[in-house]
Amino acid sequence: MDRLRVRWIIFSSLFIVVVLSYLITLRIETTPSPEVRRAFDYLENLPDSSVVMISFDHEASSLPEIQPITLALLRHAFRRNLRVVGLSLFAEGTAIGYRMLNKTAQEFGRVYGQDYLFLGFKPQHISAILGMGESIRRVFPEDYSGNKLDNLALMKNISNYGDITVVISIADGDRTVQWIEYAGARYKQKIIAGITAAMITTYDPYLGSGQLYSAVGGLKGAAEYENLDGHLGGGNRGMISQTAAHLFIISLIAIGNILYFRNRKGRG
Amino acid sequence: MATRIPLLICLIFGVIMFLQYFSVHPLAKAAYSNILDWWQIIFAFTLLVGAAGFMKNSLKSISFRKETPYKTIALLGLVMMPILALAGGTRIGSPFLWVFENIQAPMQATVFSLLAFFVASASFRGFRARTVPAAILLVAAVIVLIGRVPITELLSSTFPKVTFWIQNYPSMAARRAILIGIGLGSMTTALRVILGIERTYLRGE
Repeated sequence: MDRLRVRWIIFSSLFIVVVLSYLITLRIETTPSPEVRRAFDYLENLPDSSVVMISFDHEASSLPEIQPITLALLRHAFRRNLRVVGLSLFAEGTAIGYRMLNKTAQEFGRVYGQDYLFLGFKPQHISAILGMGESIRRVFPEDYSGNKLDNLALMKNISNYGDITVVISIADGDRTVQWIEYAGARYKQKIIAGITAAMITTYDPYLGSGQLYSAVGGLKGAAEYENLDGHLGGGNRGMISQTAAHLFIISLIAIGNILYFRNRKGRG
Repeated sequence: MATRIPLLICLIFGVIMFLQYFSVHPLAKAAYSNILDWWQIIFAFTLLVGAAGFMKNSLKSISFRKETPYKTIALLGLVMMPILALAGGTRIGSPFLWVFENIQAPMQATVFSLLAFFVASASFRGFRARTVPAAILLVAAVIVLIGRVPITELLSSTFPKVTFWIQNYPSMAARRAILIGIGLGSMTTALRVILGIERTYLRGE
């Protein structure tokens, strides 16, 4: 069989597998990983009105994977009556973060400026992370809508990381590493990551050393978090598709190797 | 003179930023805050330089009739998004956010999702146990892949445990070694730049 035909079969088979499995409404039970359990327990046990900073450090391309993680964390934060300060250190994360934060806040009837706010985007992420350790107002004098931070009730007693309980960096790359290296190392800020599955191994050393408090990784992490929170969403919905795609790829590896050894044997 | 001034600026700011880390003096803190402000201002200008460079290259390509449709769409996007943001704002319901959510985000997600098809194709054609190291890599990858599938948790608790072991011991050891290497390399390069030994950023000297 020529290469093009093999590719055509593989591509169309994967497409069919993913689409069909997405239509199945079966729910797969997932055992929460220790990292997801740790993140959930931390937010669950925070005192009421604690301030959580969520940084949307990702591109639009990873949205299908990032959105379930973000929504699970935001829903938990608002359900727990925590106050949320959103921002973005990645230009594309700005519009996405702004919309997701507003949408989730409205689900829970939260008031802008009092229960949550969005600071917007700041270029040069390292200087922004370091700058907020000194003064958030100096880095973001106004919020995304142009309101002075001093006029917002939420920011009344918030000056720098000292007043922020935890920073949650939602990233599809290594931007969380900068949060760990600059906000974590210099200002002793607690960091939790919401990351794509492909990035999980990058953060393993930081989790092992304790520099990263916890991580919610990939669609599976989102599904585990949703199960813990009791609010099923995109993570659980995508779990069947992801499982089917994984099993399909494993079977492709097996078939590829069987054919390889058979041909080698045939060649003598 | 043309190289001495940048070298001197680099040395002064490198030493100041290094020393202020260990100081709690108000003067050191003020200098640190001001440098952070300037860092952002300089970066904002580099964005302008980048946008201007992109426009210049795109217009040049269009004038030579090279990839004209793509370059025209790219230029339209670059010009239209700031216009939409300035005219209608960036709040929910604005044309800017509509274009971002309904055109840019789906297009990027589509391109990114193509990766799954290439991974599937590559796993069939390239992931083969040709040698002993390749076989070890293959077995480890399959175990991790199976361990990350929730359905296998229901069948056996062994796979998630083995996956955890592979990720937390052999894989972690290799990653830590790489990270320590990167850290030491960064420190050495930073010192070389501060002391003026590394000058490749100055016209490659």
